[in-house]
Amino acid sequence: MRYLLISFCFLCVGCASYPKKNKFEKKETSDTFLRNTYFSDKAQDYVYKASINIYKRHFGGILIIKKINDANHRVVFTTEMGNKIFDFSFIDNDFTVNHILEDFNKKILISILKKDFRTLIKENMKLTNTYSYHEHLVFETEIDKKKHYYYQTDNKISKIARVSNGKEKVVFTFSEINDTIANLITIEHKGIKFKISLKSI
Amino acid sequence: MPKFIFLFLFITTTLAAQTKMSTIEANALKEKVKTYASTINTISSDFTQYKHLDFLANDIVTSGKMAFKTPNMVKWEYSKPFKYSVVFKNQSLYINDNGNKNTIDIGSSEQFKQLNKLIINSVKGDMFDTNEFSIDYYKKDKNSEVHFSPRDEKFKTFIKVFHITFNPKGDVIEVKMIEPSDDYTTIVFNNRTINTPLADEIFAN
Repeated sequence: MRYLLISFCFLCVGCASYPKKNKFEKKETSDTFLRNTYFSDKAQDYVYKASINIYKRHFGGILIIKKINDANHRVVFTTEMGNKIFDFSFIDNDFTVNHILEDFNKKILISILKKDFRTLIKENMKLTNTYSYHEHLVFETEIDKKKHYYYQTDNKISKIARVSNGKEKVVFTFSEINDTIANLITIEHKGIKFKISLKSI
Repeated sequence: MPKFIFLFLFITTTLAAQTKMSTIEANALKEKVKTYASTINTISSDFTQYKHLDFLANDIVTSGKMAFKTPNMVKWEYSKPFKYSVVFKNQSLYINDNGNKNTIDIGSSEQFKQLNKLIINSVKGDMFDTNEFSIDYYKKDKNSEVHFSPRDEKFKTFIKVFHITFNPKGDVIEVKMIEPSDDYTTIVFNNRTINTPLADEIFAN
């Protein structure tokens, strides 16, 4: 019985919420919305040199993100030599594959990319909680029913964590930020060896 | 009214800048390019690449150096705005992405073999294979522009048509690859030198 209790306790620690585990302090605030402005300027062509590491394979390319209209983004990936690998449209809550090379046309890959890019370009999020953590403000929100934590440092978003069962599943980091452009972005999947690094060009 | 006439004249002269060649002219150009290409042992050139996507405000501009050595070594080396090079050699593709090295075996892939052949033929300009392409010839000022439309159904899904521009000598000065969506990639060659000796080390990556 005692062992059962002990293991039960462990289980509880194991499934503690992300804010609890990280000792976030809850903050009362009147803010109800959070805004991510990194891909919000219609006049801007967002062009990044991309490096993708998937398991032991490395490949590169150019990632292009353009806000065509309100709630309408185009996300295109090409090789360095200009060949289009995929071309996605995000319009409101809809997602369309305009083009994808046969070798990349895998349901699981498309589903991962769709979720990652949606997080990257989503501009307005409804806040569910606000916390403070060291020098950061941490905003909790939900995207596609998954909890996301936005870390804000000096009024700029420096990290987004997609969390499941209290654990970080995907971590987005933003650095070398000038104005509204994050010049360095990384997207790292914790469970699988999959990392995308982006450097603006 | 005079404004309209000016505009009309302007449009017609712009259109006239590119006219279709007669069969005799087209054959003469083909012979000239093929003869010239057959003398090429090496090419080294600077290039500027313009990637045009209809939804972007500006083309994505990258630049670097290209080297070719017979029979089948090609290197594309981008230096701006990032370092990236790719070498086609010995049935393999050697990629150096800012220090991250990767090799892809082409030997097993029919598609890559085709790509390798295509790259070599397009840098030399000799793509006059009517089994593979339907070909149209145009005069463009002093230069010639040849349109190569792939016949293969699968190939067509990548590239709708290649436009290769030749100078009066028969050397390639520009390659434009138009995708089915009408987005395109243009490669403009500068400082192109033919048959200067190139060491094999240049094609190490």
